[in-house]
Amino acid sequence: MHVDLPELPDVGLHVFGAALPRSRPSATAGLPDVEVSVHGVAQAPGRLAAYDRLCGFSLRDLVPPTWLHVLAFPLQTWLMARADFPFPRAGIRHVSNEMTLLHPVVVTDRVDISVHWAGVRPHRRGVVFDVVSEVSVEGQPVWRGLSTYLSPGGRVPGEPAAPLRLEIPDAAVSQQWRLPADLGRRYAAVSGDANPIHLHPLTARAFGLPRPIIHGMWTHARALAALGGVLPQRYGVRVQFAKPLMLPGRAGFAATSDAGGSRFAVLNPGGAPHLVGELRPL
Amino acid sequence: MVSDRDGRQAVIVGGNRTPFVKAGTTFAEASTQDLLTAALDGLVARFGLAGRTVDEVAAGAVLKHSRDFNLTREAVLGSALSPHTPAVDLQQACGTGLETVVYVANKIRLGQADTAIAGGVDSASDAPIVVTERLRRALLAARRARTPVQRAMAFVGLGPADLAPVPPAVAEARTGLSMGESQALTTTRWAITREAQDELALASHRNLAAAWDRGFFDDLVTPYLGVTRDGTLRPDTSAERLAALAPVFGRGPGATMTAGNSTPLTDGAALVLVAERSRAAELGWPALARVVDAQVAASDYVTGREDLLLAPVRALPVLLERTGLTLGDFDLVEVHEAFAATVLATLEGWRREGLGDLDRARLNVNGSSLAAGHPFAATGARIVASLAKMLAERGTGSLGLVSICAAGGQGVVAILEGM
Repeated sequence: MHVDLPELPDVGLHVFGAALPRSRPSATAGLPDVEVSVHGVAQAPGRLAAYDRLCGFSLRDLVPPTWLHVLAFPLQTWLMARADFPFPRAGIRHVSNEMTLLHPVVVTDRVDISVHWAGVRPHRRGVVFDVVSEVSVEGQPVWRGLSTYLSPGGRVPGEPAAPLRLEIPDAAVSQQWRLPADLGRRYAAVSGDANPIHLHPLTARAFGLPRPIIHGMWTHARALAALGGVLPQRYGVRVQFAKPLMLPGRAGFAATSDAGGSRFAVLNPGGAPHLVGELRPL
Repeated sequence: MVSDRDGRQAVIVGGNRTPFVKAGTTFAEASTQDLLTAALDGLVARFGLAGRTVDEVAAGAVLKHSRDFNLTREAVLGSALSPHTPAVDLQQACGTGLETVVYVANKIRLGQADTAIAGGVDSASDAPIVVTERLRRALLAARRARTPVQRAMAFVGLGPADLAPVPPAVAEARTGLSMGESQALTTTRWAITREAQDELALASHRNLAAAWDRGFFDDLVTPYLGVTRDGTLRPDTSAERLAALAPVFGRGPGATMTAGNSTPLTDGAALVLVAERSRAAELGWPALARVVDAQVAASDYVTGREDLLLAPVRALPVLLERTGLTLGDFDLVEVHEAFAATVLATLEGWRREGLGDLDRARLNVNGSSLAAGHPFAATGARIVASLAKMLAERGTGSLGLVSICAAGGQGVVAILEGM
């Protein structure tokens, strides 16, 4: 089934629906065959400026690929808010993400965005499922994202496959980041991802976390910005989200680069990873 | 004339700038560093500098946050230039952009650099807002305090008015007068008429619009955030429209300075690529014009004896004396239009210095700051890039003069020669 929406849906309304209990179809049959699209989305330079500032990018006409994920995110949420989505929304964790910037995208481009489910697999702690997001400009594909989420406790038949494990770069921490207590609220405001676990100690506690944690996609974006001006025009980047990063907090950034690309990690003071990633030019 | 070491010449290879827009409009969310990085991105793309080391990047900003103490180096690190590219921040108010060109050209001629980038940026939208002087001193005292009581005592005596933030003002520290108020004194003293000012402003808009229309800026400007042309340009303005504007600087019936014949607060960044002549040839870069010589001077404006923005009147005779040139030798003359009246008073000042009358057909032929806008530190590189291109079009040996007035009663003049 294909659904064309006239504009990007308002994600905020869906957040509240997430906590409501309701009956769901079984995941055994896989994810519903539904694709949702929005055409001709204008990018707001003011919002991009706020996003860039928060994630450490310079405000330039070329947009970071993580920004395109932000544009696609309301459609991911829209899919998860449908009655045919088999998992409870509360508790879902973003475990890994891949994206490919096929062609540079500038802030003045009007983008067509399309999102669909890709697959569901058993995991030792539940079920993981993939969602594919695609962005094109005037018919040309420019960006593709694959987000993998974990629904803890769920079950589908089969043996759990080994999850994505990326190698931590063999390099000393070269940057120290300080993450303020309100970073989750600020990222929620620019990204539209207002999951309560990111917002405030009280809302985080309601979901069993002692403190709010920063969005994985902020950490991803911040890490790309940390690689500086060396990002290629076209590249693929994949990240694995490990330990949640509590707010307020500190984290270290380590990276190695060679002709084949970059490996990077965001680490806690003990050296355990919050995020591990690798970037390859196309 | 300054002699070049081993015949080394510093040539302008090309330039790049953002479009300029009125402060508080399309670039309002862009920081000074964003704008400078955007100008650098365009220059890197235009000359294939990605991954390359440039020997030095010199740039500056007039309105600058203290956190931006390494503004230019930070922009380099955010760009695709090699991280081994060093950078320096320079500042001489509105003279900044031209002074950075002089600085890198001198290094190139002395053999201390072969390639360099020079220019500047300003965002009146991103201006720093600071705390009052009394609160600043109290905060510093509180930091030095060793006990809570000492810390509390540091704030005793502060009133509510001390807590209000202090927005920036483009005013002279010693006279308390804004740039426009200072120029209004000059305008009156030199009897510059409203008609002459409006005529110059109209020419600036017409010339700049014509230059845009024939594609002159295609290889000098890179669009930014959807802006493709200078936002302050009014191609359809007319003598009648300019004459209808009410004066904004000066007092009484003699006030002649309006928003039409004064530059608006502007956001933008501009850079030029400079190289040693033979190195440019090796790299396959064009050589548009060489930097011949430059001179800076200052005026005694504080007591009102001289004029704040007329230091170029003192600088140019020195430069002409040294180079053996006359005002009539220049094919093209660029006098920065801080205000229309500044240009007119400068020309009159040069005349009174015995330099002769400037043929107005050679003045700001592709428009200047009244039409393009004036992001303070960016103006010098905007003018140098445009003038170098115009001189290259005119041919080898054509001569160009740049004159820029700056706050603090300073002025810089420089000579370029077409290659």
